[in-house]
Amino acid sequence: MIIIPLIILIIPLIASIFYKNIKNSSAIGAIIEIFMLIPLYLLNPYRGFFYIDTVTFIFVLMVSSIYLLSVLYSRKYVRDIKNRGISENMYYLLMNFFYVAMEFALMVNNYGFMWVGIETTTISSALLLITEKSDTSLEATWRYIIIVSAGVTFAFISVILIYYSFGTLTVTTILAEKISNTLTVRLAVGIALVGFGTKVGIFPVHTWLPDAHSEGPAPVSAMFSGVLLPTALYVLYRIYEIFPMRMIFVWAGTVSVLFAAIFLSYQHNYKRMFAYSTMENMNIALIGMGTGTEIGLIGSLLLLLSHSFGKAGAFYTAGDILHISGTKEINAISGFIENKRISASLLLSSFAVTGTPPYGTFFGEFLILYSVLSIHFYAQFIIIVFSLFIAFVSINLNVSRMIFRGKYEYNKSSGSIISLISGIISIATGIIFLVVINAIL
Amino acid sequence: MLELIVETLSQYLFVVFVSPLFIGIFERLKANVESRHGSSIFQPYYDLFKLLKKETLITENSSKMFIIAPYAAFGVYSLIALIIPVFMSKPIIFTASGDFFAGAILFSLAAFIKIAGTMDSGSNFSSMGVSRLLSFNFFSEGALITVFFAVALITGTDNPYATNNYLISHPLSNLSLVHLFAIFAFFMIFLYETGKIPTQSEGKQEMGMIDSGIDYEYSGKLLGINKWSSYMKQYLLGSVLLNVFLIPWGITNTFPGFLLNIPVMVLKWLFLIFIVLIIDTSMAKLRLFKVIDYLAVAFIFSILFLILTEVIS
Amino acid sequence: MNIMYTIIYLIAAFLAITGFHIQSEKYLRSMVLGLAIQSSMIALISFIFGIILDSYTFIILGILVIFLRVILVTYFLINKIPRSLSYVYESKVSTTYMLILDFIFIIISIFIVYSISFIHIVTITYPVKNILLFPLLLFFQGLFLIASRKRTIAQVLGYVEEENSLIILGVFLLPVPIIIESSVFLDVLILVVIFSVISIEKNVHEKMEELRG
Repeated sequence: MIIIPLIILIIPLIASIFYKNIKNSSAIGAIIEIFMLIPLYLLNPYRGFFYIDTVTFIFVLMVSSIYLLSVLYSRKYVRDIKNRGISENMYYLLMNFFYVAMEFALMVNNYGFMWVGIETTTISSALLLITEKSDTSLEATWRYIIIVSAGVTFAFISVILIYYSFGTLTVTTILAEKISNTLTVRLAVGIALVGFGTKVGIFPVHTWLPDAHSEGPAPVSAMFSGVLLPTALYVLYRIYEIFPMRMIFVWAGTVSVLFAAIFLSYQHNYKRMFAYSTMENMNIALIGMGTGTEIGLIGSLLLLLSHSFGKAGAFYTAGDILHISGTKEINAISGFIENKRISASLLLSSFAVTGTPPYGTFFGEFLILYSVLSIHFYAQFIIIVFSLFIAFVSINLNVSRMIFRGKYEYNKSSGSIISLISGIISIATGIIFLVVINAIL
Repeated sequence: MLELIVETLSQYLFVVFVSPLFIGIFERLKANVESRHGSSIFQPYYDLFKLLKKETLITENSSKMFIIAPYAAFGVYSLIALIIPVFMSKPIIFTASGDFFAGAILFSLAAFIKIAGTMDSGSNFSSMGVSRLLSFNFFSEGALITVFFAVALITGTDNPYATNNYLISHPLSNLSLVHLFAIFAFFMIFLYETGKIPTQSEGKQEMGMIDSGIDYEYSGKLLGINKWSSYMKQYLLGSVLLNVFLIPWGITNTFPGFLLNIPVMVLKWLFLIFIVLIIDTSMAKLRLFKVIDYLAVAFIFSILFLILTEVIS
Repeated sequence: MNIMYTIIYLIAAFLAITGFHIQSEKYLRSMVLGLAIQSSMIALISFIFGIILDSYTFIILGILVIFLRVILVTYFLINKIPRSLSYVYESKVSTTYMLILDFIFIIISIFIVYSISFIHIVTITYPVKNILLFPLLLFFQGLFLIASRKRTIAQVLGYVEEENSLIILGVFLLPVPIIIESSVFLDVLILVVIFSVISIEKNVHEKMEELRG
């Protein structure tokens, strides 16, 4: 049944054919993509040219949902942008290509093509960042292109080494092999950590991340943070599966989480603040996958799923706030409690991304921390808990200052409903998880 | 023992008395290429005779150092002439007193003595030349020493005579990456040290003056000795380049046969002069501040493949 | 046969020299030409392998390199450099510092990366072990070029240099499926297109106050 993944890849391309009317056709295509998830779920597990299992399915679910939300949110947002770097139709076209590249990287059963997919996401998404054109956004775009391309190029060495060791690049064949503890394989996995880690946001190769997130338009930032980074993480996980190098992966994640928390403590731009929060969450997910335990993996998937909705909501809200107030400075914003919808969605999503109890992120982090303890990584455990605490305090303190302090002195336009929906889905994932886990227990 | 003494003497005397000849040949050929009539190839000898006969003027402020320095530098070059295979490729008397590094360091010592003597005169022009020389020398000395390191690592010894024999018996070593790039670097250093065209030009123009600044305050006999030692320096460096790096073959070491080395060395030198002549007449002089870039390139060439292929792997 | 391998080894060594040339050059046009020379050397190595190993994959690879890297990319970049001085010439480049810093950077990186791990890898196509030094050398030179220069075009050249190093690594290690190699080429091409879009607006990259922290 190779046809189902193919249809998923082709629908956005078909939608792009109606270039004159691409705004509507993309939205319709995105809705069909959501319905295509049902046959994809029934197809699971599938091994052929594409490789679909539960992990893949959850990532595909994430990508299609955020894509739908972003396309819907863009309708108003992109229309209102004053100085566009690219035309509105071009924006949707690139968005569709970007989405197809991500889906391709997720579903394909070949490390080489995964690499191609990741590289294509960079190329297709780069110009999306200059939708709101300014000197700063051009600089951020350039940094994004050059740093990520350099990093992903490094990951190509890893692909070459995998081919060298196994004589094939097919994921399922390689994962079925028993002999994998050779130096070349370890080297390949280590290089992949640095290479694809550039895109995941591992310290110290994360530097493009806050720039791109803060300068891109809100729906694109949401796509980046919610699904692009997890896609790169998925590819990294597939390579990790060849030979689990627990120690290196968990330490890389731990150090990155610590630095993300430190960076979070002195941010004055709310979009950059959410960007660093993404870095923190991605690295916690990396730790969960890096522990190599099943509970860690479940925790990571739950964290990523919930985080993608929460962070998408956060960036949509940030876009609304930027539209209303015209500034990205946290200190210049005050009294958003007057604006009910925006303040509600801001609070919902900021709680989501910091891992407050009823959200999926909380249960995800809980499971990951549990798995870190279960493999006796105590030092890492302490550092992670400490960093999570700093991150929680910094983000929520800044958000509550934006909402509760001072007077509201902007126009009364209420924000988009989509950001609220996104935040609510994030909370729902946690509750559904609780219900499911109770039913199992 | 007698043979050894004869060989030693012949090497020393060859260096001292034949080295000006190559300058003369070079100048004559250069003049011919530039469509000038040119002076005789023995012109350097005439110059030396003339200068040695002349009266010496010494500045009021200078001390004994000013007078001693030229003689001391000449002595140091004489010692180098005995420990480096510039004429014979088998050990002679005094050879045991030093190896390649001693040679490189003695070159530096001679430069230091000259500089100290020059600074003693207190002239502005001299100190300008000295400051230029010193700001470039830290690269050229470094490159010179790494070049010798490169050879030492290939052959496993830093004795120049053993190196020469090794290269003759292992012809493929001459094609190794380290050796090729060491030759290239050493050639660049040779051009710089002997004051050839990409780095400095002849004459006393202030703009490009580096080495000429050293001789600026000297006159008469002292100037003659200074010039003579710079001829020797050129011969020594060039012969190391020829005998150890470029063409290690062709030296005879049997007792009467060693006299054949005289025409062989002259032929080798004609080859080197030919190459230098091409460069000298076809290239323009670099700006003064570009000289440091030139030396940096030489330094990189000398050290890069040394580290890569001999140290790391 | 042995002499062929020696020739390949020497060409590979000259790749590093072209890397240094590109790094220390102030004129952007000469940098582009230096890269074209580098790419043609890679094509040459590929052709020689094609003859030695009697494999058509390498010949196709060589033709692709010549066509895309040497001709198309060079043509594109040369024509994209506008005539005004700020595009042509990067004045704040000191050759000496660039050379020495580049040298120190690559030696340290190579020492860490190569001597720990790559030294144990046995190459299939090329019999001499330490040949993998040169692709890695080129890779780090490209990385350093990106890090040390401020012009858009110089950074693009650094990226293309990195991609070059990957091709040569693949060639030395084993015959990688041609389809992936060709996707590397397409990448470079598309990147160059994006570069042209951006460089019209912005050709120098300095530190910015808005993008700090």
